[in-house]
Amino acid sequence: MRYAILLMGAPYSDQASHSALRFARALVDRGHHLEAVFFYHDGVYNAARLAAPPQDEPHLVDAWASLSFEHQVSLQVCIAAALRRGLLDEREAARHGKEGTSVQPPFELTGLGQLVDLGTRCDRLVTFGP
Amino acid sequence: MLLHVVNRSPATSRTYQQALAGMSADDRLLLIEDGVQGALPQLVRHYAGLEGRLFALKEDLASRGLLGRCDASVQVIDVDGFVELTEEADRTVSWY
Amino acid sequence: MHDHLYDGDLLVILRHGPHGSSWLKEGLDAALVAAAFGRHVSLLFMGEGVMALMAGQQAGPLGQKGTAATLDMLEMYDIETLLVDEQGLSLFDLSCDELMLEVTCVSSAELARVLSGHRLVLTF
Repeated sequence: MRYAILLMGAPYSDQASHSALRFARALVDRGHHLEAVFFYHDGVYNAARLAAPPQDEPHLVDAWASLSFEHQVSLQVCIAAALRRGLLDEREAARHGKEGTSVQPPFELTGLGQLVDLGTRCDRLVTFGP
Repeated sequence: MLLHVVNRSPATSRTYQQALAGMSADDRLLLIEDGVQGALPQLVRHYAGLEGRLFALKEDLASRGLLGRCDASVQVIDVDGFVELTEEADRTVSWY
Repeated sequence: MHDHLYDGDLLVILRHGPHGSSWLKEGLDAALVAAAFGRHVSLLFMGEGVMALMAGQQAGPLGQKGTAATLDMLEMYDIETLLVDEQGLSLFDLSCDELMLEVTCVSSAELARVLSGHRLVLTF
């Protein structure tokens, strides 16, 4: 089946992103296709390029990036939610006159329309909230 | 048939009541994260009436030292079982 | 019975009131975008979510916009199915007349049916 995940919790602050990652890996192991993870509300913090957790703690940002590369999972971050919270990619940083960027590739800033589209196209959409 | 997922404890949040209100007679309920506290014998009464339809995520019970303390009425499943529950349900609704 | 209320493409359940958090706004934004994309969207204001419909809301003290203006736009986006959970109303001792929009009250018995009738359910 085609799955999508909606993640609305920030890494470390609560368990949502950990649960979502565990679920994502398990569904892929079961042979399903994870089309995309859509990050909304505080979930956008999972895209933080500058996240630097201690070595002996899970690195959620890197884990999502690895999952994306290994299984062709699209990592989509709601642009409106991201900008408000200081998550900017190169284009948005330039647009807002900010130095540096804070979104880790391959996370992409997109619109809420993508979430609606995922909800329609995928067989299952599972939400993880804080 | 829907799968409802609750991640908050009935001891600290009323979210579980909303999940229960939204459940049809054949819907299932999965407790994850802090929600697994609801699987304890002294709290499982909040889920009365869900015989055979109440599940708790093993790894969240284990990390909280609650694995051996789960009420017998709760079906303990691993993350693979979680995925299976989402396959079997038409839709999954999360309450957090 | 309100048969036409039970079915739709997307049910957005709003469980938070205005100003206290971003949940209400973010839930409404998702609903509006879905409607703009042609989906049949229903809103269910549940628990504290009924506070979203209080008449006479204002901007926040720091100029936070709030959500009242967004709610006024629902009709323009063809979001006409506005449901309010009975328990939420009684929790705050509110009646439908005190709300800023015309809504349909849903009893506890009907709630489950509303959820199962929509192809996708998102909670905020």
